[in-house]
Amino acid sequence: MSDSEESAVAINPGAAAVALFGVLAGIILSSAAGFPTPAGFPADAAIVTNIGYALFDIGEGTVPVEGFLATFLIIGIALDVALDSAVYLAKREDDGTIISALTGGGNEVVDGEVAGTADTEAEAGLDHGGDD
Amino acid sequence: MVPVEYYLLLSSAVFCIGLYGVLTRRNALYFLMSVELMLNAANINLIAFSLMWGNLTGQTFALFTIALAAAEVAVGIGIILVLYRNFGDIDVMDAATMRW
Repeated sequence: MSDSEESAVAINPGAAAVALFGVLAGIILSSAAGFPTPAGFPADAAIVTNIGYALFDIGEGTVPVEGFLATFLIIGIALDVALDSAVYLAKREDDGTIISALTGGGNEVVDGEVAGTADTEAEAGLDHGGDD
Repeated sequence: MVPVEYYLLLSSAVFCIGLYGVLTRRNALYFLMSVELMLNAANINLIAFSLMWGNLTGQTFALFTIALAAAEVAVGIGIILVLYRNFGDIDVMDAATMRW
């Protein structure tokens, strides 16, 4: 895409956001009469307890809710995948060797040992550890 | 009790602020914060309709959305870290090698 074409399709982001809000607000306010009065929850209902029952699909709650045990497990797997991905992205490799992963204070790994400790500094002849 | 349309207006405003941030920010951290605003706008909607129908499904689902947002941030910050290592900056416009 050339520069002239890019400038032709460029729009002001602020105007776009305000216009979208205007459209959404118009739709919401025009259909507000169709919304029922909020039912709310019983005053004596334990909301957090009922959410806990819903998460584990126990079905003993007093407030209407569906069971979410399968969703709970799938989200757990997704969080695990995200944690592994973050660790994978954060590690640093040099010639196929991990030079930094999950070390304290950003210290580098020298010969399999975390740099910055007295032993590794003595072995490697380093004055100090860290990235600085 | 506050009518549902006020919650929806709040949600729309938060979503549009997030959209404005996504469209204008070049710093990847601000970009990520704007995406979080948009996700939280969806959460406000879920909780508002949960209140409207007197059903806890919306609130429970909002919890799942928060968990997914946390996962997204974990991966997002990892990507920002790699971006900084490769380009020396976290400007999202610098990473143009996969642009068509």
